[in-house]
Amino acid sequence: MHGFSTRKKKDEPETDFTVRRKVLLVFMLGAMGLLAVRAFDLQVLRKQFLKQQGDMRHVSAVSVSAYRGMILDRNGEPLAISSPVQSIWVNPQELADAEPAAIGQMEKLLDLPDRKIKNLIVPGTKRRFAYVKRRINPHLAAQVKALDVPGVYFEREFKRYYPAGPVSAHLVGFTNVDDVGQEGIELAYDAVLRGTAGSKRVIRDGKRQIIGDVEAISAPIDGRNVQLSIDERIQYLAYRELQAAVLEHRAKAAALVVLDAKTGEVLADANHPAFNPNTRTHLKGSAFRNRAITDVFEPGSTVKPFVIAAALDGGYIKPDLKIETNGTYRIGRNVVRDVHNYGTLDLTHVLKKSSNVATSIVALEMPPDYFWGIYNQLGFGNAAGIGFPGEASGSVLDYQRWNQFAQATLSFGYGMNASVLQLARAYTALADNGLLHSVSLLKRDRDPEAKRVFSAKTAQLIRTMLEQVVLKDGTAYQARVDGYRVAGKTGTAKKAGEGGYKEKKYLSIFVGMAPASDPRVVIAVMVDEPSAGAYYGGAVAGPVFSKVMAGALRILDVAPDQEETMPVLISKTPDLVAQ
Amino acid sequence: MSLNITPIKAGRFYLDPLLLAVITGLLLIGYVMVSSSSLHLGAKLDNNSLLYPIKQMIHIGLGLALAAGVFTVPLRKWEQWGPNLFVFGLGLLVLVLIPGLGVRVNGAVRWLSIGGFRIQVSEVVKLISVIYMASYVTRYEDSVRNSSFGLLKPLFLFTIACVLLLMEPDFGSAVVILIIALGVMFLAGARLWQFGILLAAVLAMAAMLVIVSPYRLRRVISFLDPWADPQDTGFQLVQALISFGRGEWFGVGLGSGIQKLFYLPEAHTDFLFSVIAEELGLLGVVTVIVLFALLVWRAIDIGAKAEVVGNKFAAFIAYGIGIWFGFQSFINMGVNMGMLPTKGLTLPLMSYGGGSMIVMCCAVAILCRVNSEVQEMTASQPKRRPVWARAS
Repeated sequence: MHGFSTRKKKDEPETDFTVRRKVLLVFMLGAMGLLAVRAFDLQVLRKQFLKQQGDMRHVSAVSVSAYRGMILDRNGEPLAISSPVQSIWVNPQELADAEPAAIGQMEKLLDLPDRKIKNLIVPGTKRRFAYVKRRINPHLAAQVKALDVPGVYFEREFKRYYPAGPVSAHLVGFTNVDDVGQEGIELAYDAVLRGTAGSKRVIRDGKRQIIGDVEAISAPIDGRNVQLSIDERIQYLAYRELQAAVLEHRAKAAALVVLDAKTGEVLADANHPAFNPNTRTHLKGSAFRNRAITDVFEPGSTVKPFVIAAALDGGYIKPDLKIETNGTYRIGRNVVRDVHNYGTLDLTHVLKKSSNVATSIVALEMPPDYFWGIYNQLGFGNAAGIGFPGEASGSVLDYQRWNQFAQATLSFGYGMNASVLQLARAYTALADNGLLHSVSLLKRDRDPEAKRVFSAKTAQLIRTMLEQVVLKDGTAYQARVDGYRVAGKTGTAKKAGEGGYKEKKYLSIFVGMAPASDPRVVIAVMVDEPSAGAYYGGAVAGPVFSKVMAGALRILDVAPDQEETMPVLISKTPDLVAQ
Repeated sequence: MSLNITPIKAGRFYLDPLLLAVITGLLLIGYVMVSSSSLHLGAKLDNNSLLYPIKQMIHIGLGLALAAGVFTVPLRKWEQWGPNLFVFGLGLLVLVLIPGLGVRVNGAVRWLSIGGFRIQVSEVVKLISVIYMASYVTRYEDSVRNSSFGLLKPLFLFTIACVLLLMEPDFGSAVVILIIALGVMFLAGARLWQFGILLAAVLAMAAMLVIVSPYRLRRVISFLDPWADPQDTGFQLVQALISFGRGEWFGVGLGSGIQKLFYLPEAHTDFLFSVIAEELGLLGVVTVIVLFALLVWRAIDIGAKAEVVGNKFAAFIAYGIGIWFGFQSFINMGVNMGMLPTKGLTLPLMSYGGGSMIVMCCAVAILCRVNSEVQEMTASQPKRRPVWARAS
């Protein structure tokens, strides 16, 4: 063809234009060649830079939430567990394309106020993210997903679930919507429970949706479990009996602590008013308070055994001391009174009748610094160091500022305050033959921090005396437990308020231990403002103590130490004996 | 370039096997890539991933059916219709500008809706321009070569068409039809100095339009340095360039591209080439470039053969189609690679779109018709070389 063209060029004038055609063709093919060169430049020579630019836009790191550890009771029963749930969020910009009917349906499904989602659609909004509802049941989320509304997205989260509900709510506490501990153990042990979120690299599409994983940067480290010293069965029993007592006596509040007398472990910690941590809404902060640990009150007569024990141990009185009471006792300008004139009392009856006069007389036998020292050693005025948020330390007036009357009132539990937990803890010194235990919310086998406050002999003697309290003629017959010897002490404290002590507002308290021969369990019960008539510690707090103690001893498999009051067992029925 | 393609005789028609292979290749690769880059879009818009692939299949089917009809029309008919067709084309351009008739998409009114089917008017006008120019230079060959008036007369009509196109606005198509007109006149023998002035004037006007309109100026500047503002004006190009870089030699694999997932705007239409680059790599890119180069070469070569047998109209139709396809594909690919400012031009025979696909199919059908008629004439003429005799 080339030859043909040249020949034609010689013959005709228009051959000029075949050259033009070739120029055009070469020009166009050259342009195509240029494209190929440019493609080589981009795809081979500059790929490093371009791929890096691409990764900057596609790949990003996202965090992978770690599983929050469980909170368990001493037997491994779960008190708080995390379960996967879905959270729904929307991109308001994309939502504009959605059908209003579908959005309405979604609002209805999610039980949201009308137009709550629709109001997010503002023309020209810059917003690209708004949570609609968080932590919903995965089943419900699936129903919303089925509506297929554009701009609606789902995110997997964990929701904290508390199987025991209100029973251990005050102790376990709860987390907020971001899974961060807010109260109780959830707050105190948040760092342990939370674990460490991991992260991974993901690819996103142009709408920022994750379309694939690239690599794990760091694996999430799941939070560790926290095993409490609580026994869920005793806890439940304590909660139930406390609730019943509050209802029966129309009380304002109540708190109860069960301690293991040998290890100082908290076996139960119940409070009223209670709340359900799974559905908490519109609740006042007061319902969340773990009163047993965070609230203090004047312990009243419940401290009297410590006064007697201190005086005996220090050699300031003899065990066979007899005290003339006369019903009143004048100290300077002040007078200490008993409810009745008990006449002459031995030490046993001082406790059995709870004589303020006799206890004051004994207290004033001791030097202030010694007396204060015993209270201090028993933990009054110091936090029990249990590691619970907002734990109260209570207070005892410094002995250097005492006068005689102050010393006397301290002996029957006024002018000082303590929490239910502190009071129960102080009783471990009587329960474990003079050894005061530290208290723990975590399970442990023994108490490494036990310290001697009283001699074993004195502690045993006081226990013997306290056993009289729950006898028929004592102040707390209702606190007895069939089959076991119980030692305990009542307290009925007038509530202090503005302008002094209030009439007809009482705290009913009972602290006790069983079996008295070798105590395993210490229980302190406090009922705040019983208003249904009865208000004596023995009548209000005593029955709660009795029921919880009976259950706890059975649950802990403690052998009875008082055969004669044992309930009749099936094996002792005549029929079986006959066989 | 002077290779001889052995024609195939089918009935009374002659077919160019290489041209058919190139067209088939472009259609196939285009269809597969349109599918790959539109599955997610269909799923999002209509919950049907196959929404776009099915529609494009219909476009191609309609295009091929219409092309078969066009193929049977003798070239002299087109020659006769040429001037009327151009008037018809201008009428369409006016029609689309009438409020209520034209369909507005992304701020430009380029489409006429006919029976639920959207046709981009400028595509039809491009084909009409080729036919009109071919018929004009055939009729007034001497005038084109010797007088300034002969050169200016068709350009006057094209200027009207360009103004109408700019009102849509469709700058890219205006440039394409001007290039077709200038290219055909260049091959028809317009005087070089006159032609040079004309070319300079057109370029000056284009430059002025760019500078006057801030929206075009911004596009032009962004193409020179897309990384200066990669989030806004440079966004499209940056995404396209990233697609090329990610593709490397052999691509990330068909369907595995990420850039099409809402990063590349119009991945299945104007930026299809970038998707090819990412998923099929340099290998795919070069294949497509070679296919378009072959298409251009076949068009020019068929035109040359038509000139040899003395069918001027057939020759200029072929040249015109060659220039059109070559130029438009070059612009599209150049835009994708950041060599040219962003223009809304489709990749011929490949991009998604009904109007474009049908018109392009008709255009290649006319090219095939040219080839068939030229082969027929060659076969009936006295044999100059033995090789021609053996061909049939």
